[in-house]
Amino acid sequence: MAEQEVQTLIKQLNQSLSSRNFTTASSLLSRAKIALLHLNALIPSPGTPGTHLHLARETLELGALISIRLQDPESFTRYFHSLTPFYALPSSRLPKEGGNESKITGLYLLLLLSQGDYAGFHTLLEGLEVAAAEKEEGGRKGLEEDKFIQYPIRLEQALMEGSYDRVWGETKGERVPSEEFGVFSEVLIGTIRAEIASCSEKAYPSIPISNAKNLFFLDSEGAVIQFAQQRGWTARDGRIYFPQQELEALGGSEKDILVTSGQVIENTLGYARELETIV
Amino acid sequence: MAETMEGVEGAPQQNGDTQQNSEEKTAADIRSNFSLLERAVTQFDARFTLRALRSISSLRKRLTPEVFARAIALTYPQNAPTAKTLLQALFESENEFRSVMSKIEPPQSNGKQEKEVIPEIDIYLGILLQVYLYDSKRYETGARFSTVLVDRIRELNRRTLDSLAARAYFYLSLFFEELDPKPPSPQSPVISIRKNLLAALRSAVLRKDQDTQAAVIVLLLRNYISTADISQADALVAQTTFPHTAPNNQVARYLYYLGRIRAIQLSYTEAHEHLTSATRKAPSSTVAVGFYQASMKFLIVVELLMGDIPERAVFSQPKLELGLEPYFKLVQAVRAGEMQGFLRIVQQHASTFHHDGTYTLVLRLRQNVIRTGIRMLSLSYSRISLRDICIRLGLESEESAEYIVAKAIRDGVIEATIDHEKGYMQTKQAGDIYATREPAEAFHERIKACLALHDESVKAMRFPMNQHRLELKNAQEARERERELAKEIQDGEIDEDDAAGDFEGL
Repeated sequence: MAEQEVQTLIKQLNQSLSSRNFTTASSLLSRAKIALLHLNALIPSPGTPGTHLHLARETLELGALISIRLQDPESFTRYFHSLTPFYALPSSRLPKEGGNESKITGLYLLLLLSQGDYAGFHTLLEGLEVAAAEKEEGGRKGLEEDKFIQYPIRLEQALMEGSYDRVWGETKGERVPSEEFGVFSEVLIGTIRAEIASCSEKAYPSIPISNAKNLFFLDSEGAVIQFAQQRGWTARDGRIYFPQQELEALGGSEKDILVTSGQVIENTLGYARELETIV
Repeated sequence: MAETMEGVEGAPQQNGDTQQNSEEKTAADIRSNFSLLERAVTQFDARFTLRALRSISSLRKRLTPEVFARAIALTYPQNAPTAKTLLQALFESENEFRSVMSKIEPPQSNGKQEKEVIPEIDIYLGILLQVYLYDSKRYETGARFSTVLVDRIRELNRRTLDSLAARAYFYLSLFFEELDPKPPSPQSPVISIRKNLLAALRSAVLRKDQDTQAAVIVLLLRNYISTADISQADALVAQTTFPHTAPNNQVARYLYYLGRIRAIQLSYTEAHEHLTSATRKAPSSTVAVGFYQASMKFLIVVELLMGDIPERAVFSQPKLELGLEPYFKLVQAVRAGEMQGFLRIVQQHASTFHHDGTYTLVLRLRQNVIRTGIRMLSLSYSRISLRDICIRLGLESEESAEYIVAKAIRDGVIEATIDHEKGYMQTKQAGDIYATREPAEAFHERIKACLALHDESVKAMRFPMNQHRLELKNAQEARERERELAKEIQDGEIDEDDAAGDFEGL
């Protein structure tokens, strides 16, 4: 009975996903999860029948996709973690076909990236790389051909290198592998803008406002001035000046000496103490 | 060396008599270790156990079923349950068992045989059997036998078994690693022993059994990393404390795995520290070349990721030269800042890097190649157009080049400014390095390392047992004498003049 209930719920969920009616989806999801609990299929155990595994995976995947649409990263992370044991099952028990493993994983990677959790990103990637290397031996496609996984990897590479124009290019409509990935574009653009700003403060003595528009991927010169004010820069004679740089040039050396002398004193005292214990 | 010599000499003769003699000799060698174990129990000194364990490597090549049968028959009374379990694991079929046993004459029952066999001897024989099964590639039997063995060790719960237990767990884990499907498959049997190892860790901690604790932590880390469960390994490190008194080899292994975890998590400084200690603590003899190479590979990649270039001398060490060749080429490419060459080498040696588990780390080097390239350019040109940078580094566009250079400036890789309108990078005059804090910092690092070394050497010193009691006794006596003297002075028996008189007399 519960099995049928889950099936109808999944149908309804698919409908609400395609009609973008996400508000009803959350209540449907919790009902589906309760039904799965009755089937004892929310966590895969050796005794769970194959059909139940299918149902559970599909429900959780739908849940994950819906929480992305609702921009709810916590709930997405929860869904991802409950899906992980399903993805770890051998394909003899739960075939990979019909699932959205790479899509969900790619989304999770992107989420980690947008949160700046590079350690988590690489930890997950390491696991994927190892799993993929093993699959490749079995004649299946590797990580390199998976567009959902490659997208966040490309983005991370560009971010680390500093080729921010490539990140900008990737967030444009046609390069995004699926609609859900687009949700993160806004966040990523914000991230790279902040990065570029902090780089510019150090790298340029000053830049013309018209050039800054392109540099920061902003739409108008008015937006540039607004952005400059947010960062505390001064705009004069059609150029942007970075006050932090000037401040550093002035007060930097003096402060440096203070910090250094404290450090030197501390070190020397440390040596003296150590010598005392040795001699 | 000695064992191989013996083997060579014995081979051409193939004389049944000499064979039996060498069997008897080996069995006697095994049994000579029993007295060490007995002494370890009576004197409660783990050093004797360690000595017995150390003899395993020399016995290893001489182990045969006949040797075992002989040693077991000599040690145990007939039909002892322990002897039965050992023999069951030793022989694959009943027939083999009979044929071997028939060759061995039943021992003469004299009074000595009646002595009770201590459990340490049971376990020691068990470990020898584990070694033999592993060498003869009977992994299934080994896995089954090891599970029984460690269960028995846990039941016995004797502190004199600690170092033996550590060894038994080590082989247990080795056997499971060899079972199909091998890691990193998520269905690998190694996952099934995690529960056992965690339970062993728990009881080892509760029993203050530091040998097993250290060994099991290392095994668990190895287990997690083999299936790429990095976050679980990280959680284990965060939840446990590695015992200070662990043997050097375990410390080296622990540091190696810790370094690997930290490298994956991008904490390169920490990873570098751990891996450096791991390579330094690795035994310098030829025994553990594999470990040394593996940790060296990671160390090199981590150094590259930190923006340093490993020294040339590292690669010319005879035991590293061959194994590290791909890494040597990698270093050359990164040093030159040559993107095309770097990509070619990564592609060429991808399978090696995959096998070493360094592939993902190597891929991260891409940005370092670019950075080194930029640094080289900024050192050689005082002013260079962004277009030229783009061409020389093989970048996609001038805009990319501009952002990359800006990032390099912010991260302190180069000292320069960019002129956006004219599209060039202008290098700032390099300051005098001795005017900065850098030399002082480098010096400080070295002093710190020396002091730490001193501290560790002091900690590692060993003192004879109970020596301090003697000193305490002496001190006690001295104090008593002093008290008596004080009392006498107080009583006036020896007055100040008397005491001073001595000096005058001198």
